Amino acid sequence: MRNIFLIARREYLEQVRKRAFLLSTILVPLFLGGLVFASVWTGKNLNMSKHIVLATNDAQLASQLQAQLTKDKTSKSTYDILTPVHEADRAALIAQIRNKEIDGFLWITNEPGQTMSAAYESANSGDMITSQILGESLNHVLVRQRLTASGIAAEQADSLLKNIRVETVQVNKEGKESKSSVLTSFFKGYLMAILLMMTTMMYGMNVARSIIQEKTSRIYEVILSIAKPGHVLAGKLIGAGAVGLTQIGIWLVVASGAVGGGVLSAQMSGALNIHLSWVEAVTFPAYFVLGYVLNAALFAGLAATCETEQELQMYAPITTVPVALSFVLLMPVMSNPNSALAIGASLFPMTAPVIMMFRIGSAVPPAWQFAASISLMLLSIWLILLVSTKLYRVGILMYGKRATLPELVRWLRTS
Amino acid sequence: MPVVELAGVTKAYEQKIAVRDLSMTIEAGQMFGLLGPNGAGKTSSIRMMMGITLPDSGAVRLFDQPFTRQSLERVGYLPEERGLYKKMLVLDQLVFFGELHGLSRGEAQRRATQWAERLEIADSLSKKTEELSKGMQQKIQFIGTLLHDPGLIVMDEPFSGLDPVNAALMEKTLLDLKEEGRAILFSTHRMDQVEKLCDTICLVNNGEAVLSGRMREIKSRYERNRVIVEFEGSDAFLQSAEIAEARKFPGHAEIRLKPHGDAQKLLLDAASQARIYRFELVEPSLEEIFIQTVGGKANA
Repeated sequence: MRNIFLIARREYLEQVRKRAFLLSTILVPLFLGGLVFASVWTGKNLNMSKHIVLATNDAQLASQLQAQLTKDKTSKSTYDILTPVHEADRAALIAQIRNKEIDGFLWITNEPGQTMSAAYESANSGDMITSQILGESLNHVLVRQRLTASGIAAEQADSLLKNIRVETVQVNKEGKESKSSVLTSFFKGYLMAILLMMTTMMYGMNVARSIIQEKTSRIYEVILSIAKPGHVLAGKLIGAGAVGLTQIGIWLVVASGAVGGGVLSAQMSGALNIHLSWVEAVTFPAYFVLGYVLNAALFAGLAATCETEQELQMYAPITTVPVALSFVLLMPVMSNPNSALAIGASLFPMTAPVIMMFRIGSAVPPAWQFAASISLMLLSIWLILLVSTKLYRVGILMYGKRATLPELVRWLRTS
Repeated sequence: MPVVELAGVTKAYEQKIAVRDLSMTIEAGQMFGLLGPNGAGKTSSIRMMMGITLPDSGAVRLFDQPFTRQSLERVGYLPEERGLYKKMLVLDQLVFFGELHGLSRGEAQRRATQWAERLEIADSLSKKTEELSKGMQQKIQFIGTLLHDPGLIVMDEPFSGLDPVNAALMEKTLLDLKEEGRAILFSTHRMDQVEKLCDTICLVNNGEAVLSGRMREIKSRYERNRVIVEFEGSDAFLQSAEIAEARKFPGHAEIRLKPHGDAQKLLLDAASQARIYRFELVEPSLEEIFIQTVGGKANA
């Protein structure tokens, strides 16, 4: 055990002291933060400051549409009315777009005896958001007009047209109700999947690389004469694995400080509805760490059979299979979280972390399922390490050639 | 008490028998040379001794006990395939090796500093390994092998890559360690080094021991049939019927006599034709013994 600790500590300190660790710890959140900021900023600014002309012969419709469109106080767009209109005006409006005096115009044809039609013309045909807003608002105004025309009072028409939000309430075994939503359950599973995928992608390779380092630096024989191959492998896995957890830990602490306030206020105002029960608070980190270790162990096993990093790259797609599989299963499990498929997927070690988190979000599974899935994960980590150790021990001394599949089987049998 | 004992050890790889029925014993206070051309089975034998591979048959005993990993705690091993963690500070690296061998951090640090001073590389302790020359790295590796005060020191080609000054320093250190009563196994294909340092040898070829025993004893088994003559004047005596082979250099010649060739007769011949400054009948070198023993069968 002492040697595992010593090897893990050496591995950990070496990687944490590298400039690359410091840079990625700072740069990755800056990059992601910048990306989120940029998309929010462009979303807010690109669609909201447009100058649009509403062109129609129906003056009443135009003014009602203008009122509907300017209801949204956050919108910075301006809507002018042009009424009445003639065909010549259309050409003039097009000229105005070309001269960049306006961003676009909505041409509404509403002649008696003709089917009503509307066309949004702008310099940018891909501006789907603006055309969607215009379409929704126009339909809203038209339905309201038709309702009032059929004798319904304006206030009543407004209340009829009001959107309703459907709330989801989760009932547990004791019959207790709690607010929940499919979306937040999905979100929890999704978050686990994203976190696992990120960590596996970012650090799994790191674990593997550190195992191959022993071969390329030719230090393995010195180390193997002192420590058991299993201890070397376990130490490397723990050390390099802990580097990933440290980095994620740093990000989480910084992020919770930065966004914690925002999330809390959103939660309190009801805009965001995330309940983290104590079951989730305990199981989320547990499944995350187990999932991460399982994936890292898989990488370690693959690395044990490779001579160089280039060879390892060829195996990289295999390691994305567990997370990809979890994504595929998420949808069928979502529609029926207690089906045999869902239970099977939450017991299968590769998909257990993601599926279990999703299931806990929608309905807490029975305790035996937790126990079984965690035991199975631990067992598979142990098995992978056992096989990897054998491969590592023999593979390391086969220096100079990559193992073929029959050779791998023979190593496992003979070592 | 034998420190190492191999009894009828055999190891085969896929298409090759690396070691065949090899037996040898190394005692405490002995400098043992494991000799042979490249690919003879030296490293395979050592790997079995270190528990890195297992013999297919035969037994390995260390410190008079059947092999266990526990006994490796008393062994210092410098493999042929060696390396260091390039980005690590030299002192940290040595402390890491010491700790793996069971020393406390403080003790490992103390011993590393002591050894660095002894091998004249104390200035390098605070540097990164990658900043050091190959020879310096070799010395660091050498220290890493000795930190835990092992009773058995196994060195596979320990002098490769060292300049003569550092090689001499290491030779002296190894001789000191031998004097302290440690068993040293020293594997190389450089016969001259073994001849200089070892008192006992085992010569392997194609995985088999072809010659083993105490150096003096082995040498005494071979006839003194090599003559070195320093002379001035005619070299016509080199055509003598007593000579099997003669190599002529400026001012001297190296001669191999025919079996039962008469050196005395040759001396008389030479003296009658040239002025002789030196006429020495020397014992065969280890290299010659090796060539004589394995003939054209060596893999080198």
